[in-house]
Amino acid sequence: MKISYHLGLLSVSVLVAACASSAPSPQTDLAAVESPAPVASSDPRVKFKDGERYLRDLSANLQIPRDEICKELSQYDCMTDAFRIVLGGVEAPNLLVNDPIESAALTSPIALDRVALHVCTNRVKLDQEKPEQAVLFQAGAFGKKDKAKKPDPAWMHQTADTIYGSVLMRTPSEQEVQNLVSFYDQVRDGRAANSKEVAADWVTLSCFAVASSLEAVFY
Amino acid sequence: MTSLWSRRSFLRNASLGAAGAAVAAQASQGAYADEAAIERARNPRFLIVLSSFGGANQVDAFLSRRESEIPNAATLNAYPDSLVQNIGEFRAIDLKSPTIGAIPASFTANQSNFVRKHSNDMMVITHTGTSVNHFVAQQRSINGNAAWLGRTLQEATALTYGAGYPIPNVHLVNGTGFTERGTDETMPAYVYGERAPTPNLWPLSLDGYKGVVGAPSRGLFEKARAFRNEQLDPSSAFYRTFSGSQRVKHWTSIRGDALRGVEAEDLITKLMLFPDSEAMPLTAHGLKGSEIGQKVREAFPNYEFDPLEAQAALAFMLLRYGVSVTVTLGPDGSAVFKKGVKLGEGGLGEGDIVNPPISFDFSHQANREVQALMWNRQLMIADRLITLLKSEEFRDGQSFWDRSMIYFATEFGRTRRRPNNAMTFGSGHELNNGSLIVSPFANGGHVLGGVDPDTMLTYGFDPETGRPEPGRHMTEPEVYSGIAHALNIDTSGSALPDMRAMRRSA
Repeated sequence: MKISYHLGLLSVSVLVAACASSAPSPQTDLAAVESPAPVASSDPRVKFKDGERYLRDLSANLQIPRDEICKELSQYDCMTDAFRIVLGGVEAPNLLVNDPIESAALTSPIALDRVALHVCTNRVKLDQEKPEQAVLFQAGAFGKKDKAKKPDPAWMHQTADTIYGSVLMRTPSEQEVQNLVSFYDQVRDGRAANSKEVAADWVTLSCFAVASSLEAVFY
Repeated sequence: MTSLWSRRSFLRNASLGAAGAAVAAQASQGAYADEAAIERARNPRFLIVLSSFGGANQVDAFLSRRESEIPNAATLNAYPDSLVQNIGEFRAIDLKSPTIGAIPASFTANQSNFVRKHSNDMMVITHTGTSVNHFVAQQRSINGNAAWLGRTLQEATALTYGAGYPIPNVHLVNGTGFTERGTDETMPAYVYGERAPTPNLWPLSLDGYKGVVGAPSRGLFEKARAFRNEQLDPSSAFYRTFSGSQRVKHWTSIRGDALRGVEAEDLITKLMLFPDSEAMPLTAHGLKGSEIGQKVREAFPNYEFDPLEAQAALAFMLLRYGVSVTVTLGPDGSAVFKKGVKLGEGGLGEGDIVNPPISFDFSHQANREVQALMWNRQLMIADRLITLLKSEEFRDGQSFWDRSMIYFATEFGRTRRRPNNAMTFGSGHELNNGSLIVSPFANGGHVLGGVDPDTMLTYGFDPETGRPEPGRHMTEPEVYSGIAHALNIDTSGSALPDMRAMRRSA
């Protein structure tokens, strides 16, 4: 793995490599915060959650019908039509792919990110269209009168809790909630803190981050 | 890992610009191996495996024989003298038939045009395999029967030249032994084949953001990715528990800079073969087709309904844009009909069957017709690929074709016997055969080996001189070695034989 990562960097363009040089690599980051956790498995074995299972879980948890949850070009199912093979599926009748890929393809994380972004964008859009049936982006972001200058902490906490509960089916730790809350400032990005658009972006991207996390992808 | 830049890195970026491959080396500077990898990537050789599912038989093509040349011609697969053409050292069969065995579908097939046009780069080698099981024999055609640590030719090519390429080894055809992963697990992850099963939608998997309508801005999306990678995941109990998993390590490695490298090349646009249309509403989703899409679609006008033409079109784009150093394509087991053909309405017209079911293996029903039809199809694809590759400059006046090889990999030959003087007959699987290789690096213009007139089985050649050697049979490792060495792949320590005769130059 080390070698592949290392050599994979040879393909990075000048522009991106320059950007990347200012941002620590994921592996380094993970290593940096890794601590000798008492829960570390001595024989860590995880399985990749193939695309169909992944989408069915999200469909059930985010309350979007499976056949509507992710459409490429507004008409091709993300799993069945677009990314079935790179997301670990099989398709024997036409593509003759009888076995899932043995390890994630170079395009697998990109496809997974794309699917997660589709799903979360879709969910927040539906929440805005029918607030009374909202799942993630619920009312009260800026207080009961919707006039607060910044997001209501209780609302943020509740939203973070809902995202983790919906996507990963568990309650987040306090640290995880704080991570999402602090992420709001990054999403704000110079815009007014009490902008509904900022709040919607925060919910969408928080959902994306959780839905494409390692915990969501593997089991 | 260092993010320093070296002079060589920039030189390399500049030199690969012609290929459209922006490459930035962040390799550990001063490491000889890295420098060597960079140098090889600057001067790649491209391997195109045009797989020929079902047994592409040489004695039905470039090694065909006239009835007048074969003592037992009535019961062996020798052709009427009038059908066999001599073009240099090669033979060619042009055949027009009213049927494909029992299928009432007429067709016209031609081999001679390709031979006349490309004979200088054509090399036919004889060999005898070790399996008549489709899948096993397909695997052995690309790994030489585990000739070199179980590495496939595609993996060896990607290992040698692919370090600077976003996706060095792409498999456009799937479900065959020609694209089966090799057994050497010690190589970098990028070496192994990446499946691209659907040429129209696969490019969408090359960018995590573009085309997702209604999503927050790209900048915010990238922040969310960084937030996930740097804060959210590391703080989770899941990560602390399973961070030692190889799968988790692999995932976190490829979703980092390697991922951004693929996206930075804007491959979602460059490789988008299909134009904006009702079926592919690109513009409405903030996407657009490739700049060279029109040119490629003109070369492969049936890309919409013929999977092989779509594969070939994408294969060219992968090479042209410096994405890959090896691509594997080919027909699978599916029948392909001309667009608009309606079955069950009174017979098929001329050329309505583009690809018979099970491809070359339909020779079980009608050997000569199927071999003619399928060879015609494969040669047409190869000719168009070569033409496109010749039309694009790689660097310094060299075309992409000047650096390419097409290997018509096939699993075995077909049995040589036929009912007395039959024109239409079925054939079985036969270990003995040969392969067509087309490349400026191959010993072009030559047939290496020959055909025994008593059996119509092929015999081998001297590995050094290429002189025919009746009684000798070339092995799978020898074929593998000859191809690898023609591609200038360093096989030191492998004990593979030197097959000097298969190379144009030493």
